[in-house]
Amino acid sequence: MRFESIIETVGDTPLVRIAPHVHGLQNIDLYAKLEFCNPFGSLKDRAAWNMVRPGLSAAVERGSQIVELSSGNTAKALAAIAGMHGIGFKSVTNRMKIPEMREMLLLLGAEIEELPGQSECLDPTNPEDPLTLFHRSLDEPGNTYLHTDQYYNARNAEAHETGTGPEIVADLDGRAPDWFISGVGTAGSSTGVARALRDRNPKVGVVGLVADKSDFVPGIRNIDEVQEVGIFDPLTYDTIEKVTSAEAIDGLLTLVRRCGILAGPTGGAAYFGAVRYLRDIGPQLTEPATAVFIVCDRVESYLSYIRKRRPELLGLRPRNDSAASVTPEELSGTAAVGVAEAREWMAKERPLVVDMRSPYAYAALHIEGSINIVDELFADLVRGGLPFSKARPVLLACPVGEQSLRYAALLTRMGHPNVRSLDGGIIAWRDAGAPLVRE
Amino acid sequence: MPLLAVPLFLDPKLEQPLTSLLTSPRFLHDLVDGLGSPLNVVLPDRIVENVSRFRSVYRRHRLEGEICFAHKANRSSALVRRLAATEAAMDVASLGELQHALASGFTPERIGATGPKEPEFLWLAARTGVTVNIEGHAELESLATLVRHHGLPRVRVLLRLSDFSGTGVKFLSRRSRFGSPASELTGLLDACGQHHDAVEVIGVSYHLDTTSLEEKALALEGCVRAMDECRARGMRPRVIDIGGGFGVSYLADGAQWERYTSQLTSAAMGRREALAWRSHSYGLSSEGGTLRGSLELYPSHRSLAGADYLDELLRTPAPTLGRPLATLLLENLYDLCVEPGRALLDQCGLTLARVLETRRESDGTHAVSLAMNSDDCALEEHGILLDPIVLHRDKPWEAAEDTAEPFGVHLHGNLCLESDLITRRTVFLRRLPARGDLLAFPNTAGYCMDFSAQHAQRRPLARKVAAYRDADGWQWRLDDQYWPIHSAGDAHEV
Repeated sequence: MRFESIIETVGDTPLVRIAPHVHGLQNIDLYAKLEFCNPFGSLKDRAAWNMVRPGLSAAVERGSQIVELSSGNTAKALAAIAGMHGIGFKSVTNRMKIPEMREMLLLLGAEIEELPGQSECLDPTNPEDPLTLFHRSLDEPGNTYLHTDQYYNARNAEAHETGTGPEIVADLDGRAPDWFISGVGTAGSSTGVARALRDRNPKVGVVGLVADKSDFVPGIRNIDEVQEVGIFDPLTYDTIEKVTSAEAIDGLLTLVRRCGILAGPTGGAAYFGAVRYLRDIGPQLTEPATAVFIVCDRVESYLSYIRKRRPELLGLRPRNDSAASVTPEELSGTAAVGVAEAREWMAKERPLVVDMRSPYAYAALHIEGSINIVDELFADLVRGGLPFSKARPVLLACPVGEQSLRYAALLTRMGHPNVRSLDGGIIAWRDAGAPLVRE
Repeated sequence: MPLLAVPLFLDPKLEQPLTSLLTSPRFLHDLVDGLGSPLNVVLPDRIVENVSRFRSVYRRHRLEGEICFAHKANRSSALVRRLAATEAAMDVASLGELQHALASGFTPERIGATGPKEPEFLWLAARTGVTVNIEGHAELESLATLVRHHGLPRVRVLLRLSDFSGTGVKFLSRRSRFGSPASELTGLLDACGQHHDAVEVIGVSYHLDTTSLEEKALALEGCVRAMDECRARGMRPRVIDIGGGFGVSYLADGAQWERYTSQLTSAAMGRREALAWRSHSYGLSSEGGTLRGSLELYPSHRSLAGADYLDELLRTPAPTLGRPLATLLLENLYDLCVEPGRALLDQCGLTLARVLETRRESDGTHAVSLAMNSDDCALEEHGILLDPIVLHRDKPWEAAEDTAEPFGVHLHGNLCLESDLITRRTVFLRRLPARGDLLAFPNTAGYCMDFSAQHAQRRPLARKVAAYRDADGWQWRLDDQYWPIHSAGDAHEV
């Protein structure tokens, strides 16, 4: 396969059957439409390209910046497209909850503006709703933004009506599936695909998935937020159901661990929602049926999302030589020296003074002659063995003397004969009027 | 959907001692009989508990520094005097508040002055030696001139900063009228250097009007960087003051709040009957089948509020330096100062109003007229939604009551104005109030009680009483007659 431009590789994504023993549905064949095979990594590549195309050459000519309200994949696709055409891209968002996505956008050269959080002191007469301000700035005379407007732009759904939907039908040998299950974000893909499928078979059941209001599933809006979407029409869906982030991760795990499909939480939510919806329908069927759900993007960008909710899925087992493994007995057997005693000891035996605060804090003020090994680095060092010669006495110092005592106990366990902790830490040192320097 | 098919209760969150006060209807009726309606009740002992919740967050993170009560949230003397008997400090925003704090037992080193300041306010602050939050260049100049002209002692100041920038991501934070842009710190510090004889910079501060942790984390890190610039000039600042805005959760049940706001959205979309007087929809509207606008309401249920919000903020990593903010403060040897108003007043009081009349309307709702107006209990002004509690004279209120037949009511005030409603929302009540009953609006001590109260139509302001418990049960004093020696128990912990 040879292409002139990466844009030509958008679309024509695979439809992959989920093994029946994995999903456990009776009489139903379940297929995943792998939208993560698009070049910029998601379903949104189709809509981004379709929305930006009509205005693109004019924008390039005028040097316009593309602008979109997006927290993730649409922004990613638009940033890549903007870069290819030598123009800028700005993402305005209040939902950038995925740190990897933020960094990815910055890497792609995007400009990011975050809308402020809700006001703490309510002013009911405040005319400056952040979104109103955004739209006003687009309308200002002289601005040259190319606003793709994904929540209202008909070309969003159109990309799926002419692309995603017909591809599914073609891959099912010209037949529409009996059910189509999709998360509702901009509603572009569910609306467009549903139109194309119903065109073939008006009886297709369409299930829309929304997030629980107190929860957050990437790419999916909650039941109130979908009302703010211009493309959203409740009549598109036969039913709208809720999914939680826990369910999205459960679905993701099945796809990742049992199907070899490295889906992100949006795809995980769609799989979970599909199986939950179809589980009781299957046994009532007299003929085989098919269902399709969309895998929007890949899992790699969501490791911090998973870490926050299911840390055990990524967890390392605690190591032996870690500060957390220190026992109360070891702690009470460890020498903590007060400021006066420490100064005396320093003058007499010249111990190595190790300041465990961050380099930033160390640079601002520290004990003269001390060296700086920040706690995180220290933890890594001691995993490999004692980082100091046993011949040299060591004084550990942290802000208040708690962490340094733990590490002093650990070094003692590891065989260091003369390690002490500065009692009360650098704060006690300062409060005692002992000198701190800035070099 | 018919209006009353699914009652949309918004049950207030109630904790002690408010819960126990509400089960003493006779006591509350007697108070209103004697002192008139409306009546504000404050619970000075509860504010002590709230201070200790904030302090325990400090302890958890090994941080030192002051917990200042933002006085502007309530005018009560009883609450301020009760706080004077604890370790708390005061944040005053006017000459009157400063005088009040001094007269209530706060010594100047426990007081900070913020907000717009007249020369008289600045003079008394400088004369007594309270810490002054400097809003900008002009204020610094007038303070320095005042100090020299009147031969006053050197004043300890905090420099209030705003407009922090950071991480490659631009925050479109709301513009603030307070503070100097962080980018102008250098010039401000030059000026502080010139006025070295008149002012001593002990730290920096910010106050952001937002519930967003990310914005606050950026500001706090910006303050740490600003402190570093002070240190590079040989100053030894110690205090970072992060203002208030920790919030209160007013409702007991988050699910009720979510259901309610979803129904409000449906009402704005025209998919169900209106949920408020004259179809008010709190900022939402429908345009061609799409929802427009944003909900102009305080988030009445918050999973993270008060001391817990502070805890979460301190756990948040600094956006560019990476360390948790508590660690960053600690290892740079800085004290943390907070100025909660609303959060320290959580559960500290209630507002009582007498029912004048209940009338059935043609649409099946009831109009309830109260001896109180919307400025006496400014729930609507502050966008707070919660259900009042009906108190019959002799039947104690209980949390679980019959919900078979809820009543939809509108709560009308006593001003001769169509728009005087205590809340424009249709309130669902489990009991229909009758003439002579009381409605208790719980948790009004923060801003709702007296911030907006005025003398419209020559009506008197609500009286305020401090209620407290001793071995004989509930006791009360007029707010200005209360001193901490009147509370039983541990009134003198400092």
